[in-house]
Amino acid sequence: MRFPGLVENEMLKFARQRRFRVVVLILIGLIGLIAFAQSRGRERFLGDKDWHVATQERMARIQNGLRDGRMPPTMQRWARFELDRLQYHLERDVNPDAISGPLFVRGFANASSYLLLPLLAIVFASDVVSAEFAQGTIKLLLTRPVGRARVLASKLVAVLLAITLTVLFGGIVAYVFGGIAYGYGGWAAPVLTGFRSAGERLDPAAVRSIALWKDTVLAYGLAWFAALCVGTLALLTSVLLRSTAAAMGTMLAALIAGTILPRLAPTWETQKFLFVTNLPLPDYYSGSPAPIQGLTVGFGAATLAVWAVAALATAFLVFVKRDVLA
Amino acid sequence: MSTAAVLSGSAGDIVLSAEHLTKRFGRREAVADVSFDVRAGEVFGFLGPNGAGKTTTIRMLVGLARPDRGRVRIRGLDLARDFEEAMGHVGCIVEAPDLYKYLTGRENLLHFSRMLAAGAAERIPELARLVVLSERLDDKVSTYSLGMRQRLGIAQALLGNPDILILDEPANGLDPAGIREIRQLVRHLASDRGIAVFVSSHLLSEVEQTCDRVAIIHRGRTLASGPVRELVDRVASDRLRLTARPARRAVEVLKPFGAVEIAGEGAGTDEEAAIDARIPKAKVPDALRALTAAGVDVFAVERSLASLEEVFLEVTGGETV
Repeated sequence: MRFPGLVENEMLKFARQRRFRVVVLILIGLIGLIAFAQSRGRERFLGDKDWHVATQERMARIQNGLRDGRMPPTMQRWARFELDRLQYHLERDVNPDAISGPLFVRGFANASSYLLLPLLAIVFASDVVSAEFAQGTIKLLLTRPVGRARVLASKLVAVLLAITLTVLFGGIVAYVFGGIAYGYGGWAAPVLTGFRSAGERLDPAAVRSIALWKDTVLAYGLAWFAALCVGTLALLTSVLLRSTAAAMGTMLAALIAGTILPRLAPTWETQKFLFVTNLPLPDYYSGSPAPIQGLTVGFGAATLAVWAVAALATAFLVFVKRDVLA
Repeated sequence: MSTAAVLSGSAGDIVLSAEHLTKRFGRREAVADVSFDVRAGEVFGFLGPNGAGKTTTIRMLVGLARPDRGRVRIRGLDLARDFEEAMGHVGCIVEAPDLYKYLTGRENLLHFSRMLAAGAAERIPELARLVVLSERLDDKVSTYSLGMRQRLGIAQALLGNPDILILDEPANGLDPAGIREIRQLVRHLASDRGIAVFVSSHLLSEVEQTCDRVAIIHRGRTLASGPVRELVDRVASDRLRLTARPARRAVEVLKPFGAVEIAGEGAGTDEEAAIDARIPKAKVPDALRALTAAGVDVFAVERSLASLEEVFLEVTGGETV
């Protein structure tokens, strides 16, 4: 009955601690910079060549690299996959490097899913409990006629809500800047998605052609889901460590480890059970070759869900049971 | 004792009762078997030196910490079992009046009113007036003085129309004027509104001036409890303070009646001086007659009330606060 009021409280605290303002500024600054830099880079890279020619040239370069024999095995895997993917685009007469405002939006989902959005999720979640301990306000919060589980639930809902708003806002900002750089139309254009490797080669049976807007919604859905899972994990660290700096540091270290581990130790397969390895869900969905064998959208989403549920269970248990001596 | 009878007769129902509260941290017993009742309309003092277990006890009273043994009942409700309903009767400040510094006073009160039953927000203007914060209510708490924060904390605690108010060291860090304001507010809430008020303090004078009943805690155990007057009487019953001239003669005359010492300046002179004497009540009339007969001028005779400090020294066996 009073639950919406509790969530309102938490949102008020986010707003008054300038969390939203910081996130909004980060998104606008970063996406604006990317859009600007990318449109400049493209002009120089592609010139006004026909895309068929440009794509064939690129394939030739990759083939040379493969023949060269000096490519490390993981790169070889990626190169074969990329060759197949480009070939497939040529056959279907779809420009793999096409760009438009909507395509920029779509690209942002992939680019932001493994670092930027999780980072922003951490901004919201990692001090949502620890700050109350640091300020001493936890003593008031937990001596009101509201059970501890409901207090934490209201914080969880606020964090999930804030992350949702962040992902939505990120998409909107990307569309605004993408539109400025490349024009606003093109939502209905077909895109090829679902590239999946079957053994060494690309599995053509899995490739589908769908409308860009549908593809975008799916990709953002996946990025959103990954960010929510990061949010719950950050909430857990906030509950456990009771220090914002420690919670944020832990989560950042995990994220950074996640981006470098697959590169440093590509043969260590167990890392596919880590949550960070599974964050680039949009990548696994649209079909860049997975860094580790056996990573798929379904596997990634399931693994993240398990992490999130375990984190929530632990967070609630600890928060409800532990004495507050701060 | 008559004072006790009067006090317990005038006090209302038991609002809060602590039953054999025990809390261990590792092998150290921070609180051991602490029991007391707090009644409607009274100010109950919880007195002890820093580290005696006061805050740990308060944490158990308000559900922040779980007792290893014992139970807290609020209006008869078991705190551990019916937390939400029981805490609906409680307003509290634990340790410091920590509120959200980046919010205004009003936003803080609105924040906590959303955690209460409907109607709490309507009380904000009235409570702001009560704690004299109306004019600063829309300023950020970070700009408040400690006294203002303490008062805002009390307004927050009163939002839910509590039956019991639990204040942890409300005088801490306040200047004398601030302490007096809080004391008057506490007395008003208990006497005029019938709220039970539980106040912890390490300041004996504070408890003596504010509280009706007191429990003294030391090293996690309650050493004594009862009406403040009764505890004071225990020590004070044979204490007299006289102002007489000549002082030297007065001391000579009083010596046979009990222990005498000259309190102020002028010891051993023939001037006027204050004299502390411990003379049993029954012998006081004889002592005064003897003084008059000896030609000593007596300007004042008071029964000096022992401070709680003396009570405390007595019950703890000489350890200071």
